[in-house]
Amino acid sequence: MPNPRYDLAVIGSGPGGYVAAIRASQLKMRVVVIERDLPGGVCLNWGCIPSKSLLNSAETMEAIRGAEQEHGIGVGEVRVDFKRVIARSRAAAATLSKGVSFLLRKNKIDYIEALGAIAGPHTVALTPVAGKPAPRAEAIEAERILIATGSGERLFPGMSVGDGVMTSREALLYDRVPASVIIIGAGAIGLEFGYFYQAFGSKITVVELEKQMLPGFDEEVAEELRKAFVKRGATIMLGHGYKSMARKNNEWTVTLDAAGAAKTIAAEAVLVAVGRAPISRELGLDRVGIEVERGGYIKIDDSFRTTCPSIYAIGDVARMPLLAHKASAEGIAAVEIMAGVREPGFDLLAVPGCIYCEPEVATVGLSETQAKARGIEVKVGKIPFRANGKAVAVNQTEGFVKIVASKQYGEVIGCQIIGHRATDLISEVVLGKTLETTTAELGHSIHPHPTLSEAIMEAALAAEGEAINY
Amino acid sequence: MSSEIVMPKLSDTMEEGKIIRWLKHPGDQIHHGDALAEVETDKADMVMESFEEGILAEIRLKEGESAHVGATIAVLRAAGEGVASSAPGPAAEAGAVKVEAPKVTAVRSPERVTPLRGAKRRRGSNGSEAEESPAEPSSVAARGSAEVADANLAEVDEEAGGFPVSRDFHPALSGHPSAAPTAIAAPPERAIAVTTPHESHLPLPPDPAKVRSSPLARRAAEEAGIDLSQIRGTGPDGRVTKRDLDNFIREQQLFRFRRLVAPREGLPGTREELSKMRKTIALRMAQSKREIPHFYVTIEVDMEEVVKLKKSLEVTELFEENVTYNDIIIKATALALSRYTRMNASYQDDGFVIYPNINIGMAVAVEDGLIVPVIHECERKTLPEISRASHQLVAKAARGGFSGDDLSGATFTISNMGMLGVEHFAAVIVPPQAAILAVSAVKEKPVVRNGQLAVGKTMMITVACDHRIIDGVIGARFVNEIKRFLENPASLLV
Repeated sequence: MPNPRYDLAVIGSGPGGYVAAIRASQLKMRVVVIERDLPGGVCLNWGCIPSKSLLNSAETMEAIRGAEQEHGIGVGEVRVDFKRVIARSRAAAATLSKGVSFLLRKNKIDYIEALGAIAGPHTVALTPVAGKPAPRAEAIEAERILIATGSGERLFPGMSVGDGVMTSREALLYDRVPASVIIIGAGAIGLEFGYFYQAFGSKITVVELEKQMLPGFDEEVAEELRKAFVKRGATIMLGHGYKSMARKNNEWTVTLDAAGAAKTIAAEAVLVAVGRAPISRELGLDRVGIEVERGGYIKIDDSFRTTCPSIYAIGDVARMPLLAHKASAEGIAAVEIMAGVREPGFDLLAVPGCIYCEPEVATVGLSETQAKARGIEVKVGKIPFRANGKAVAVNQTEGFVKIVASKQYGEVIGCQIIGHRATDLISEVVLGKTLETTTAELGHSIHPHPTLSEAIMEAALAAEGEAINY
Repeated sequence: MSSEIVMPKLSDTMEEGKIIRWLKHPGDQIHHGDALAEVETDKADMVMESFEEGILAEIRLKEGESAHVGATIAVLRAAGEGVASSAPGPAAEAGAVKVEAPKVTAVRSPERVTPLRGAKRRRGSNGSEAEESPAEPSSVAARGSAEVADANLAEVDEEAGGFPVSRDFHPALSGHPSAAPTAIAAPPERAIAVTTPHESHLPLPPDPAKVRSSPLARRAAEEAGIDLSQIRGTGPDGRVTKRDLDNFIREQQLFRFRRLVAPREGLPGTREELSKMRKTIALRMAQSKREIPHFYVTIEVDMEEVVKLKKSLEVTELFEENVTYNDIIIKATALALSRYTRMNASYQDDGFVIYPNINIGMAVAVEDGLIVPVIHECERKTLPEISRASHQLVAKAARGGFSGDDLSGATFTISNMGMLGVEHFAAVIVPPQAAILAVSAVKEKPVVRNGQLAVGKTMMITVACDHRIIDGVIGARFVNEIKRFLENPASLLV
């Protein structure tokens, strides 16, 4: 069989790569996907999906624990088979990974298990992966190449995982509840695992170098979340940098730096959640002159094109924010731009960001501070969930909705939600933002009563000084 | 209902306009697009057109008077006004179908008026269809009774006590597919009354409600008084977004400008479009002369010593490059600027900014235009350094290798036409700078030295100053200072 030349070769089958591949196939391209691990990438196998399964178990645990006091429903002794909690999350990941394989097949996309690297402007070299059958060819040829290799966990220099030291990947397989956990990094991943372990009874300490949790997020949201964690018994150490760690008496001792003063804390396990790094090394980028920016991100233009014109990059490997849905949207955009059915450009401000601890955090667009820093005159509407009937009824009154609108037209510039089901609520505002909605449409659309979504309507009205219930 | 006609913004820089002549008078019927008045703007005399329909009720700005953009200059009354407000509402039979189709524009009114609260709320709940339409989709009953071509029946509802009396048969509620203002939607039981042959062949005006557009674009268009149907949308399925609107406004401003510079109709001549550079020059020079009250101070400089200095520098070959008159003038000007700091400044809204650095731009002619390369921080540069910087810029001008910095950040400009042999000229200040120096040719002239007539080499320099921050005395002292340095050029070598 002669070596077929594909229209598009996608390196990586995560939410960016596999979605781009399917869209390309819909646009009549001959597509091949090269994956070194499992179909679905980190998101499905080692990130979003299994962690949400764990968080769901945590939420259930929290509900059962609080049932007696909250509802007067006594449940007696609560027993946890933590191995099954982990197994359940693996099953969810496996189901979805199989689903991706099915979708690729259904769309007649070739799938190669190998480590792909750039060998030329139109060539991807294939290296066998240990434990998997060697690919039939050493390289494939394609008109265009899309790099969607994503990102990997980051560790401090000299640090290695094992023996209770984990990144999110190890934590997903760690099948017993540690008595105490130190979490380094108060970003999305750290806080989600923090909430998870806390719900199952671990004593958690969250360490963050910055002065607020969720650095870069709206300050009020961060503070509200800090309070929620403290209320649940967590220790939050802001403004503390990691210095070193050592194993002592079956415990990990972590030395921290607080403005020059050293401080030591100890715990059974340590979760390192200090961000993720793009996987752009060892891809052979310099062979075709692809430039890489600070932090290892591949440099792309408005059309997702790298500095080698036949090669494109999307998702975590190209730029922040490192989010699955951003990668998917970029994958679709990149392929549509290649096919000439879409104008170049991508609005990063329309990408929502979600954190699935309790209370949940969901944001889109600019915060009040960010808008002001850009010189945009804004009006802000803020509604706490304690002013929302449904939130009071189900006793989920933590948090608030904040809508940032332009002073001139009431254009929705951003929205920050912290509270129960915030991640489900944000989509309304994302749609609104995509459609260039103003506070008038959000505030005057009739929202069903009683729902948490009414808080969005009220926040839009509040921005105009017309809130009814607050 | 009545609506106000405001002084329109007829050019991108227009701030106020003067009525030369009203072309319509109170009582006249006004149609969309009718010429209302001749208006004198900063750029030209222009005809102001109506964006609306109705009867001219009142003229508030008399001929010969001026008003700021946005000020009310006349009031337009809808035809049949007064009848509408006393409409009996649903009691009226729908048989009296209105005949005249109102012309519809996408804008409610050209002026910046926040819609009534009530109207705004309905917008939200009726959805975008109703929002854009200046004619609030209304029932046959209300229209029939009003029996007018009033393009906005929203008012009827307002005046009927806030309750939408006519809403019983709202097209949207009755399930009628069309909410177009002129395609009168009939409640099912009155279908016969409406679908008269007379009605059915009425030409439909373009319905702005059907323009796919974002709420933000609609709101911004409304404020800017722009008909969205003129705009090509680039969103999904041609949806007009805010960016499309912004692009349209920008193009429109350029178009207006092109129209202003076009030769008068009727006179023979071929029209040429301005190049991008030409446009920029045109815009900025016009802005300068419009906004900056210029005054000019001229002085004659004895260049004998400079000529000698230049020669001696050439002979000794002390510097890498030959020092030009221009370099020497830049150095002298920089020294004078460091003493008269207001000349190195910028007027800004009731204040002015004095720049710490002296960045001198030199106007250089290029093909149909000019560029102004800048020598930065002249206050720190010695004459040879200025000379080197200037040579580098000249070399770049020849090769076309300017970087952004080379052409921006000037705080003062020198225009030198010495090589063209001119006797004397004055230059236009480059906004936002406060002054510009025009340098003429060095010429042999009779001069008086120590009471004796002699043949000397002299040069005229003229500074143009922004009178808002510089007075004559300063301008005069400034040119005198340059003269002093040039006539004693040893000081320039220190």
